[in-house]
Amino acid sequence: MSQVTDSRKDWGAPVLADGYFAGIRDVLVLELKQRLRSRGWYIMLAIWFILTGLVTWLTWASWNASQAAQRAYGGLAPAEVTGPGSMIFEVVLAFVLLFALLVAPALSANAVNGDRAAGTLAILQVTLLRPGQILWGKFFAAWVAALAFLVTSTPFLIIGVALGGMTPGHVLVALLMLAVEVGIVCAVGVGISALAGRPLFSIVVTYLAVAGLVFGTLISFGLGTGLTQGTVMANQAQYREYLSSAQGPVEPEYTCSGPLREQPAMHTERVAWLLAMNPYVVVADAIPYPDRTAQMGYSSVGAIENISQGARYAMAGPDGTYPCANGEAKPRYLGQATPLWPLGLGLQLLLAGLLMWLGWRSLRTPARRLARGTRIA
Amino acid sequence: MAVRKDAAGDPAQPVSGNSGGITATAVSRSFGQVHAVEHMDFHAPAGKVTALIGPNGAGKTTLLLLLASLLAPDSGTISVGGLDPVHHRAEVRSRIGWMPDTLGVWESLTAREILTQMARFYRLPGAGIGQRVSMMLDRVRLNDLADQPARVLSRGQQQRLSLGRALIHDPSVLLLDEPASGLDPGSRVELRTMLRQLAGAGKAVVVSSHVLSELDEIADGAVFVNQGRTVRQQTTEEAAASGRRYAVSATDSEALAAKLTELGLTFRVEDGRRPAFSLLLLNDDDAARLLRDLVLAGVGVSSFAPASGALEETYMNLEGERR
Repeated sequence: MSQVTDSRKDWGAPVLADGYFAGIRDVLVLELKQRLRSRGWYIMLAIWFILTGLVTWLTWASWNASQAAQRAYGGLAPAEVTGPGSMIFEVVLAFVLLFALLVAPALSANAVNGDRAAGTLAILQVTLLRPGQILWGKFFAAWVAALAFLVTSTPFLIIGVALGGMTPGHVLVALLMLAVEVGIVCAVGVGISALAGRPLFSIVVTYLAVAGLVFGTLISFGLGTGLTQGTVMANQAQYREYLSSAQGPVEPEYTCSGPLREQPAMHTERVAWLLAMNPYVVVADAIPYPDRTAQMGYSSVGAIENISQGARYAMAGPDGTYPCANGEAKPRYLGQATPLWPLGLGLQLLLAGLLMWLGWRSLRTPARRLARGTRIA
Repeated sequence: MAVRKDAAGDPAQPVSGNSGGITATAVSRSFGQVHAVEHMDFHAPAGKVTALIGPNGAGKTTLLLLLASLLAPDSGTISVGGLDPVHHRAEVRSRIGWMPDTLGVWESLTAREILTQMARFYRLPGAGIGQRVSMMLDRVRLNDLADQPARVLSRGQQQRLSLGRALIHDPSVLLLDEPASGLDPGSRVELRTMLRQLAGAGKAVVVSSHVLSELDEIADGAVFVNQGRTVRQQTTEEAAASGRRYAVSATDSEALAAKLTELGLTFRVEDGRRPAFSLLLLNDDDAARLLRDLVLAGVGVSSFAPASGALEETYMNLEGERR
């Protein structure tokens, strides 16, 4: 113990604008160092890689098998063979999204209260760090950890493209949307972990929130639709003969005539925002697909496209989809001109932002209020 | 809200004469129905070691959290070098070093990394951090273990790391919550020396502890708290002046008792392992005189020693008053 008196330096007041991001970066570094040194994370990554690979291989194998079966018995080969690319891509995408939604809460929902339990949160709070810096640092750390899982699954999405039918743009948009969705779940998790006392509780609540987004939106849309009974002014649709459709324009398939009458219809557009919040809808709707308004067959439409179209039907409501509503023929296929995903993403961001804000409030010091039964240190 | 008299005017200007220390005036803080701290007054002057003494649940940790600006008081004011933590958060934080009673160590990080991170969180200039961290590791004797993950450190070593963490930004006020718990005797002596040195360097050092005999050696003053209130505030000299209990035992207990009675001293029989008597003596001179008298009277004194520290005496008296 040489000397106790250090030459007292003038540390001065922190530089605000620059310092704020530096603080977030410092917290991020602290968090990532800890995460990178835990073995569990690597084991989960390895399991993830193997599972995604397995799903990709199974999809490819089953597609091959079905092709072989069609050749052997059917004789009637599909008109256009797109290759397995679209299908593998969609299955892998859906799978990756599912597992990303399952992994993200585990990586984020004990970020704050886990530290509180270990007694390390107050150590951060007593420094010059601001509550926002701690929260953002923890959020970015959780997000980066979750993004590593997406990076691991990229090879399989690229295989989907390489096998045909898709463009690199699809992979890029898909990965971008997956990253955003994972980020939202991480923000929800970090926000809840700042609010809840115990890590176990906040992880369960975050899983419930994810379940709410994936299934809850579907269920509440389904139930909510029953409450939207209404009417729409429509007249009579007269469908053309099937054969004659070979000539002339494909759409409209019918003509409208007669006086407008009130017809019962479901005003799904009133509850479609619930559907829009579904992560699958957001991702599916953001991925571009070719405009098929002038196309006849719908046989090779993929799952992603179906999800997107279904949501857009709900959003358009009877005024846009009911045959001969307001005396106009409606297209059977809605173009991608009015995207739905910005609405859904906006609502999700609102939810995540609200939880992060509440979390920020609970991290402020000197603390005025404490959650029940928690000790600050 | 009570406003400190001497802090009137611009609170940003440190008040001279009181600028280095930390003061709490009539602070209260309750958690729901529990009044953890009620109208507590506390002052730790710069350059002194102040002990915070009280039984479990007396509000010591809550008071330290209030002083560390982690908790806001419901009422009352806190002033660190004349600055209010609520309005001058950053300035106050850079002056306070806090060592919690829970260790709270980032287990996968090395000691060096932990101190480096803390230096960053305190916005120390980047160029000097490496040197500062090495110096601090040297001071808390963790040089050899600097690049080991913190989880392999023993409790005492983690405690020292925690102390280094509180000192990394060279604070002028040091708040230590039970710093000696879990330390081996050697480390305790070392901690004592270090705290004296820090106080000598002009820092206000606040130590909460149960180990009262330790505090006798290092504390200049003590604040006794109980049930959320400040019970007594005194310096160690004052505590020593109010008398100290001595334990005396002899080969022949009856002869000793007879002699003590003859000298007109009130004593009580201690129910320890060996038969002993304890009695209150005002100062060291009294003790010397009594010992001489006993020896001259032919009583075979086998032990003659202070039974408790000066602070412990006050503490036990307070305990007695409470019952």
